[in-house]
Amino acid sequence: MIPEVTPLDGLFGMLRKIIFRGGIWPVVPAIIFLVVFFAMPLTVLFAFGFVSIERGVVDWGTVSLDHMTSTLNDSLFWHFWWRSFWVGTVSTVFCLCLGYPVAYIYTMAGRGWQVLILVATISPLLTSALVRTYAWMVILGGRRGVVNAILLEFDLVSRPIRFLYSDFSVILGMTQIHLPFMILPLITVLSARDRSLEQVSLNLGASRVRTFFGIILPLSVPGIVAGFALVFAISYTNFIVPQLLGGGNYTTLAVQVYEFIVVILDWNKGAVLAFLLLTSCFVFVLGINYVGNWAMRWREV
Amino acid sequence: MGAVDRFGVGVLCVLAGFALLMLIAPSAIIIAISFTEKAYIGFPPSGFSFKWYLELLDKQQLIDSAVTSLKVAFFTTVLALTIGIPAAFSLVRGRFFGRSGITAFVVAPQMLPGMVIGIALLFFGASFGIYQSNALVIIAMTVFCLPFAIRVAMARLAIMDSTLDEASTSLGASRIETFFRITIPQLMPAIVAGGAFVFIEAFDNITVALFTASPRSRPLAVELYNLVQFDSSPIVAALSSLEILFAFVIMLVLARSVGLDRLRT
Repeated sequence: MIPEVTPLDGLFGMLRKIIFRGGIWPVVPAIIFLVVFFAMPLTVLFAFGFVSIERGVVDWGTVSLDHMTSTLNDSLFWHFWWRSFWVGTVSTVFCLCLGYPVAYIYTMAGRGWQVLILVATISPLLTSALVRTYAWMVILGGRRGVVNAILLEFDLVSRPIRFLYSDFSVILGMTQIHLPFMILPLITVLSARDRSLEQVSLNLGASRVRTFFGIILPLSVPGIVAGFALVFAISYTNFIVPQLLGGGNYTTLAVQVYEFIVVILDWNKGAVLAFLLLTSCFVFVLGINYVGNWAMRWREV
Repeated sequence: MGAVDRFGVGVLCVLAGFALLMLIAPSAIIIAISFTEKAYIGFPPSGFSFKWYLELLDKQQLIDSAVTSLKVAFFTTVLALTIGIPAAFSLVRGRFFGRSGITAFVVAPQMLPGMVIGIALLFFGASFGIYQSNALVIIAMTVFCLPFAIRVAMARLAIMDSTLDEASTSLGASRIETFFRITIPQLMPAIVAGGAFVFIEAFDNITVALFTASPRSRPLAVELYNLVQFDSSPIVAALSSLEILFAFVIMLVLARSVGLDRLRT
């Protein structure tokens, strides 16, 4: 005889499953922790852009768009935004141009080279970004900087070249510091690619260069998109490199956020700028992904 | 290979070589300079001495901030692992409504720059009377690092064989015994790797710490941030070299525990 199953049994069975068979409970502390210390603080941060703060006391009664509109009407804001955008874009493009060859050679190389590439890529990731920025201050510095010292030693220049505190030093530093973030997703995608296609292409007489641009490059679009979006996002929001390698006058949107919150202590303005930085960053990342999807569809045609 | 091909391969190799040199050279130069005998940073470094390392020991302020950083990193690691490992279990092995949504939520902090998390906790704390302190740094750092811990553990759990657990219980072991003798040993590489990642990030992260640290007990990263701007003595290079060495040790630990290839993800 088949035992009769009542709806109640089903309910108990489900409860038992939830509690004993790897249910939801172990993740609850993480959810609570992140609701309290992540979701709520983020809400507070955005709210601070819309209320007025007098001497450290928040007046929740005065919700207005004043801070937002005055910021958006400020031409200086757009000036700094533009600098953030193009510095981020240029250094991301450089990262791609330098990172792609490394990732490609990784997939072609023997074990020894692979280990070398992984060590060279991962060890900077574990070193603090601050130390790596400092290294560039030492390398690009004035008379005693590494590059200038060498140039002067061999009489290639008569006076030290001013590398630091320019677009050049900021972009160079950002490119080097964010390069591993470009290489790693590219290695993942390129390692997993189907090699029979390029073999067929070579066997059919296509040149290596043509095979690369016709087969390998299109296949690696997902890695390019992932790396590009990640590196753009961290370059766009980096404020340490512009401050240290760009000098006191090199202001980007992210540097402004830092200055308003820590130096000027205008938290309203700081909150508005942080909000704008974050939302514009998300828009760009979505845009990069959109272009990537479009490129992949175009590839299939 | 035709001429075009040879040119293409050449360009590729030159770019990759340049990239690798760029990745390695700055750290190597800093280490070389830290052994100089001169009182300023110069290249090429002259002489060989450990005097700047010995001088580090005399700077009480630096030692204090190193201790602060070690404390922050330790508590952040413990907190992130105790919250993160169980969460990973649920998210990989659990079957419940909204699992993918919850997964997206718990790894969300990773999508934000450290600066935004630091500022959010600074404002949040100020609204409730919690001021810049080591505790606030630990909380902010845990928010920032939790996704690492969870993702590393999830990746490991996904390739772990849960039938071993079932075999153990069906052979008569209790659930608790199974957990400690079968599940935990299998999960160990993820615990070591996740812990090491969180520790090193919490130790030398600057973007979160700059907003949440108290001016009275500054973590080493914040101290270093001020030093690189206003101090040109090789002592900064010595301190940086120690950080590079520390990172290398952590990488060796990771390479031995999970293997270099696994670190890529």
